Amino acid sequence: MPEQPQPNPAPKPGTVVPWEQKIKELPPMTGREDLVKQQWETYDAWAYTYIWHLVVSF
Amino acid sequence: MAQDMEALYQQRLKRYTTALRKGKPDKVPIRPFVAEFICNVSGYTCQEVTQDFELAFEATRKCCLEFDWDATVPNMVYLYGTVPQVVGLRYYGVPGVGLSPNVGFNYVEPPEDSNSFMQPDEYDALIADPTGYLFSTWLPRVSTEVVRPGQPATLRNNLSFLKGGMTMMNYFSAFPRAIERMRKETGTVSAIAGILKAPLDILADKLRGYIGLCMDLMEQPDTVLAACEALQPHMFQIALASADPTKTLPISIWMHRGCVPFVSQEHFDKIMWPTLKPIVLELWKRGHQVLFYAEGKWGAHLKTFRELPAGSIIFHCDRDDIFEVHRVLGDKFAISGGIPNVMLAYGKPEEVRDYTKKVIQTVGRDGGYILDAGAIVQNDAKVENIRAMTAAGREFGVY
Repeated sequence: MPEQPQPNPAPKPGTVVPWEQKIKELPPMTGREDLVKQQWETYDAWAYTYIWHLVVSF
Repeated sequence: MAQDMEALYQQRLKRYTTALRKGKPDKVPIRPFVAEFICNVSGYTCQEVTQDFELAFEATRKCCLEFDWDATVPNMVYLYGTVPQVVGLRYYGVPGVGLSPNVGFNYVEPPEDSNSFMQPDEYDALIADPTGYLFSTWLPRVSTEVVRPGQPATLRNNLSFLKGGMTMMNYFSAFPRAIERMRKETGTVSAIAGILKAPLDILADKLRGYIGLCMDLMEQPDTVLAACEALQPHMFQIALASADPTKTLPISIWMHRGCVPFVSQEHFDKIMWPTLKPIVLELWKRGHQVLFYAEGKWGAHLKTFRELPAGSIIFHCDRDDIFEVHRVLGDKFAISGGIPNVMLAYGKPEEVRDYTKKVIQTVGRDGGYILDAGAIVQNDAKVENIRAMTAAGREFGVY
């Protein structure tokens, strides 16, 4: 029986779209992956801040 | 001049942080959280300080120069009204937009009918992925602009994220500069850093509404507990990410309706407290104090708060009897506040002076007290009463 696709687990606090998920959508990394990852996670954390501060602060 | 201001700042910082840690400084620190009160001093309207945060920063600096305060918040008008406008948030009334420009912003309670921001059968979705639920289900309901995933994207939807993100970033980015100007131009300390709320309050305030949550507490309490547990790590994350990296200033928790009689003692004991306490303990483990800004009355829970490690919180007293608070908590935690806002609004300067003297000479007798109003000071407070509170603080607050 074919495996059912598993839904993505809930991202960890501080994250909306985890890098591990995003990298699967990108072409193969031919340069520094850490740089791409760092930038992705920086702005992903801001997206997290955005939604949670709407709930907590605004 | 600049050197004098820095010396004054350092003196005030030492005074404030000594009291935060239950020590006895040279004087009782004075730290009012002034919101729309800044309009009474600056001449700006509530609309102006709500919609233009630079005016709010400026008005706060004007207050700092006018009064001899040790610490305050650069802008305590905590709603920057442009954010709800560009995001289209339904739960705020903003001064100058349908409301008088001279009243503070209004918070509109979430509806509990079919228009509820979160339906009672959606707890599982919230618990499974809180962040995803907020983006995909909650935000489209609370916003006039945002559409649900799967619906056709609209220009207004796209603009709400673009403008909302830029507006929020612009506001948050302005704080370090405002803190620095308050320090250099007025010698005043920024009083807090970081924000925390109890998971149960989040459910009531922004998701289910208070009435909806009360129904859920009766009909599905285990599910409510599970939701609070799911929210817990996110509350911790937001608190930690916004905390003072030097661990000098406390993280503030704004405590709303998690106490008796808003919830039963049983629900406090089984849901509210077990999902808040671990956050406070973990923050303390990492060196962060939490300012328990206990809005309203929390007298039913004072003994419970004693479970926390000595010094881990500062208990801010709003409408509780501050002398009783001091009797129950004074040996473990610093205390702030307690000067009734009603007195500051409707009383006479002599009453304010006498009451402030009594609080200082009782609660502040051995240190560990920070003089402040019971609640955030709005534009109903009289300038002469705030002046009387400040003057009494200086007159009677010398150790």
